[in-house]
Amino acid sequence: MNKPYMGKILMVDLSNGTMTEETIPDSVYEQYLSGMGLGAYILYNRIPTGADPLGPENILGFCSGFLTGTGSFFSGRWTLVGKSPLTGGWGDANCGGTFSPAIKHCGYDAIFFKGISPKPVYLYVKNGKTTLKDAADIWGQDAVETEETLKKQYGPKAAVAVIGPAGEKVSLISGVCTDKGRIAARSGLGAVMGVKKLKAVVLDGVQRIVTHDPAAMKRLSKHCDKWAKFPMPLSLLPGSLIALVGTFLRLTTVLFPFDGLLYKTILKKWGTGGLNQLSIEWGDSPLKNWEGSNRDFPLKKSAKINPDIIKNAEIVKYHCYSCPMGCGGICATKGKYAHTHKPEYESMLALGGLCMNEDLDSLFYLNELLNRAGMDTISAGATAAFAIECYEKGIITKEDTGGLELKWGNTEAIVALIKKMIAREGIGDLLADGSKIAAAKIGKGSGEFTVHAGGQEPAMHDGRNDPGFNVHYSVEPTPGRHTLGAGLYYEMFQLWKRVKGLPRPSLLYMKGNKYKINKEKAQSSAACSKFMSLANGAGMCMFGIFIGIKRVPTFDWLNAATGWKFTPEEYMVIGERIQTLKQAFNVRHGIEPKSNFISSRAQGKVPQKEGANKGRFVDVEKLASGYWEQFGWDTTTGKPKEETLKKLGIK
Amino acid sequence: MSYTITEKCNGCGACVRICPAEAISGEKKKIHTIDADLCIECGACGRVCPQSALLDTEGVACIMVKRSEWLKPEITLSTCVACGICIDACPVGCLAMSERPREKGVDPFPYLKDAKACIGCGFCCRECPVDAIAMSKPVKAQKTTSEISKDGTGEST
Repeated sequence: MNKPYMGKILMVDLSNGTMTEETIPDSVYEQYLSGMGLGAYILYNRIPTGADPLGPENILGFCSGFLTGTGSFFSGRWTLVGKSPLTGGWGDANCGGTFSPAIKHCGYDAIFFKGISPKPVYLYVKNGKTTLKDAADIWGQDAVETEETLKKQYGPKAAVAVIGPAGEKVSLISGVCTDKGRIAARSGLGAVMGVKKLKAVVLDGVQRIVTHDPAAMKRLSKHCDKWAKFPMPLSLLPGSLIALVGTFLRLTTVLFPFDGLLYKTILKKWGTGGLNQLSIEWGDSPLKNWEGSNRDFPLKKSAKINPDIIKNAEIVKYHCYSCPMGCGGICATKGKYAHTHKPEYESMLALGGLCMNEDLDSLFYLNELLNRAGMDTISAGATAAFAIECYEKGIITKEDTGGLELKWGNTEAIVALIKKMIAREGIGDLLADGSKIAAAKIGKGSGEFTVHAGGQEPAMHDGRNDPGFNVHYSVEPTPGRHTLGAGLYYEMFQLWKRVKGLPRPSLLYMKGNKYKINKEKAQSSAACSKFMSLANGAGMCMFGIFIGIKRVPTFDWLNAATGWKFTPEEYMVIGERIQTLKQAFNVRHGIEPKSNFISSRAQGKVPQKEGANKGRFVDVEKLASGYWEQFGWDTTTGKPKEETLKKLGIK
Repeated sequence: MSYTITEKCNGCGACVRICPAEAISGEKKKIHTIDADLCIECGACGRVCPQSALLDTEGVACIMVKRSEWLKPEITLSTCVACGICIDACPVGCLAMSERPREKGVDPFPYLKDAKACIGCGFCCRECPVDAIAMSKPVKAQKTTSEISKDGTGEST
């Protein structure tokens, strides 16, 4: 019977250059899918307890999505997995572009690397032949240059994943780049690749990806396309009016469940940058290192990042593989680089609002600079914001910064600081491993101004506005992550329409309900995590599945691709299993789940005195306990119970 | 499943040269073989074999076709959603995504960038989720949506 997975992985030992092809039993795919699930399965079983993330025992995996290449839409994401040097626990980072199908075309569901190479190398896979090649010539090049060099050599069809200088210099906030600026940025896994001296992975295969029922796949995809295209009047509004949606959401006391079709419309027209002003107005964007509020960045200021202005710089839209929506874009920029991928909302807010930087040109420039360096824009911006607060409060001086006047909104100094971080020069060396490590080195009470969860800087969504973000920032095996769940996400996924027993939000509800802690909240948070774990196994894009489970039929695609007859509830158990395995990985490696709770500033332990989130405190401890209960993890420690592991078949 | 080579093979090597999967091997003037694990059933070998020595997956002998008559993809942009699945499906990389937006709209568009490299396998057509691609015989100066035919270079071989 035709299956959408290749059934094999490649294990490369960089220490001695051996490459081993392994067959993976069907039962593993039935329990974990591939993608992040297969990655978790391999790493849980093979990384020795307590292994140094930067040592030879750590394993770095490039995992293709289970549904990638099956003719389904929104299914082109691959997951980079490894033990995170930033958090010390489970690490993964997710990326679009064209790399996911390329892994499968080489005949593998995933490619893993262990050991440390004695010299810089890259892996080249071509039609069943695998070779480790000398990377001396490309070591030191930035991510885009490296990709261009390798594509010149191996042809445009080759898919390339690379680290830039940040990864080479083992920055703990570095990632892995593909497609000239799509980056698997979180968890600091670029540092793992850098320390392994693996500069790039070049894939050029033609193996076919087949499915059980191609006709059904196509039927489902056409159904999905209809919704991806669904016209919404919102798209007729100018960007400046979208900001007012945020103002409305801030002021209203009555809310309705948010339909993903609205967000789809914003994404399709502007990309994630469509949120720039809306999120600030709403209270979703953290500002001034999480101390500020929308009042510090009023419409007059945020007008400079009006989504229409960003759209005007767009030459052409960019679609990741298998995406009918196309939230990305290729933009023209001023200065050194002619083009850049359209800066995402996260990048613009982290390097903009969080640092009180209003200069749009600098945001485009920094976006390209960091993509080329292979450094996480969220963590880089957040660490810069932390440094600025230290400077403003006199904890670090002009002498420490090498002459930089690190003041709020000083664009020139921010750009110079980021450059130093990439080059690990002066104070940049101190900051290149993220804010938690920097604060530990600086001391003098600077830890008070770091906002992180388990060492990972959270994304630009304020959990004081949507407490769901604070839950997921705090309880996920990959802390600080905004792509796994939130109150808003639960509403958009519309899982209750397919999965029995999940709470259905009422058609209108008082805003105050968002901040109540109850069982329904715990159920919806747990459902988000399970569903996103499943989606990351399947290679699904979160923006796609925001459109709603009936419109983007993930469960049905999985059944049509495999011939399985799993129910939605059974698929949610697969997600639950993946999530629990990652948590078990953390526990095995000595992580106390509670130590991952987000910093007290972002919880609102000292509530804000003004702005959208005035007076809000989110009791993460209470929320976490309810979440853990849903998973059968200990409600006080967050560790999976024996019987839970047994029930899920985790050994 | 895989294509296979019969004893009619004269070892000319035409199939080896065209196979995008590097699945065929053999000494010159001796019967060649196909590695079933590598064969992707694109059928290019069958279309170039002068001896009709290739059997398809059903065991039917392939007939040689003049390369200028091989089917080529024709993309209907009004249906195309720019997902790039066709480009990824192509085993020879002859399709590419434009670097500029399509005439009506902001999305890029896939086009037959290297018509000479196209092996007419039809994978792009088969895998397009919205059926925006048809495989048709190339007609000179035919008006299609692809850039290559717009600038008149056509598919002359």
